[in-house]
Amino acid sequence: MSALAKTAYFWRSAAGGLRHSPFVHFIAVSTIAIALFAAGLARGASRVVDNLLSSLGGEVEVTVYLAPELGEDEVHGVHERVQQLHVGDVTVVPPEAALVRLRRELGDLGEALAELPENPLPATLEVRVPAERRSPEALRTLAKELRAQPGVTAVDYGEAAVERLSAIARALRFGALVAFLVVLGTTIIIVAATLQLAIYSRREEIEIQKLVGATDRFVKAPFLLEGLLQGLLGAGLALLGLWTFGRVLGPTLGSLFAFLLGPGVSTAWVEPRTALELVAAGCGLGLGGSFVAVGRFLRV
Amino acid sequence: MIQFFHVYKAYPGDPPVLQDINLNVEKGEFVFLTGPSGAGKTTLLKLIFCGEKATKGQILVGGRNIARIRESAVPYLRRNIGVVFQDFKLLPHRSVADNVGFTLDVLGVPRAEGREKVRRMLKLVGLEHKADALPLRLSGGEQQRVVIARALVNDPTILLADEPTGNLDPALTVEIMDLLTQVNIRGTTVVVATHDATLLARYQKRTVRLERGQIVSDEDGVKAARRMAV
Repeated sequence: MSALAKTAYFWRSAAGGLRHSPFVHFIAVSTIAIALFAAGLARGASRVVDNLLSSLGGEVEVTVYLAPELGEDEVHGVHERVQQLHVGDVTVVPPEAALVRLRRELGDLGEALAELPENPLPATLEVRVPAERRSPEALRTLAKELRAQPGVTAVDYGEAAVERLSAIARALRFGALVAFLVVLGTTIIIVAATLQLAIYSRREEIEIQKLVGATDRFVKAPFLLEGLLQGLLGAGLALLGLWTFGRVLGPTLGSLFAFLLGPGVSTAWVEPRTALELVAAGCGLGLGGSFVAVGRFLRV
Repeated sequence: MIQFFHVYKAYPGDPPVLQDINLNVEKGEFVFLTGPSGAGKTTLLKLIFCGEKATKGQILVGGRNIARIRESAVPYLRRNIGVVFQDFKLLPHRSVADNVGFTLDVLGVPRAEGREKVRRMLKLVGLEHKADALPLRLSGGEQQRVVIARALVNDPTILLADEPTGNLDPALTVEIMDLLTQVNIRGTTVVVATHDATLLARYQKRTVRLERGQIVSDEDGVKAARRMAV
């Protein structure tokens, strides 16, 4: 009963704290809301970038060159062995089909190929790699496995392009992480500063609490809850902002970037998962700020 | 109930505030602590509720050595000690009832039970009809009674009062002192710091006199009153 009464007191006190210094808390809630709104937008933008990378990555194809002396049955044998590796769709391109394709790609110059005494192209296998195996590391491993197969002379998967694409993705993610950490740190500092003001404005109350036998935890709990409430309110505002943003500008942006988003990709700015992440982040920011504030200022 | 053994208190760079204090206050006793301003009365009270730490010596409160008490145990000690301050220390934006119930909130007493205790306590100090008023709308004597109600609402075994009548006129002084006497009769140990000689003469309680941080006399009420009269 005592714990219940104390919990009820903490919530009353935290809500009272918000009412007691509305402007100070407004600043903290707004800061959290702006930070989370920006994070929500960044999340939406990162979906677009991921989709772009994924669509570019879809063009990654591994070409396996077979020894020219292999007969049709042996080529079939290598094809079967590669299929058993479960590396994706594997298609055999016979030397004749490869020559036709090359002639077509060379255009007018392709006529020169007719002068060749014999077809110099070997049979190849084309492997369409599934999305989960398109990372540079996975592709490198796959190439190694394929090269080890008997009858295989070379493997090409556009290593340079894949590495560059992957480097761009890494740089984007790193940039986003740095931006996130800067925003996180700044927000926690602002929330902590506003809570310190709130604590300062209630120093008399804290002094009396201590004199009548309040423990440190009892004094601190309402301020931590205040931080949590700030975080929840900030997250709520950010979600409302994102929802409004999606309603007002979403369709326009969707049509502008349709070529990047590709078919079947959601343009919603407030998905349930994003909403949960933002609420959790809001709670984290609010609690983080209040931890800093009570730790620095409430040495009671 | 309260025992001091060779207690010293000094702040760095200043002469000692208290020197070699030896004092024994029995359970249920009423003791006046008197002396001129700066004699160390307030500091002595602060040592009892751990508002300050002694520089040297041992202090037992309810059999517990508070000179060696852990910081985390201080709140639990304070729950048994009611303190009445000269400057009231009331929350101006909270009602009288809320100020009195503040102690019960800290103890986690359920609201309904707390309201009933607050009502009883306000009745005891004669302020039941002012439960919803804000402290600043009350007279000095009424505010002091609110502080006493707050100090007593959780039935502490010790009540410390630091110049509880310092800001009050003679009529209100008697009112507050009668209230403290009544509390003492109910079994609470009461220690009152005052430099008001008329109070000592009127109430004739044990009187401990401090001068320059030292106890210079410790007399029963009649003897102290007789000396005051001379």
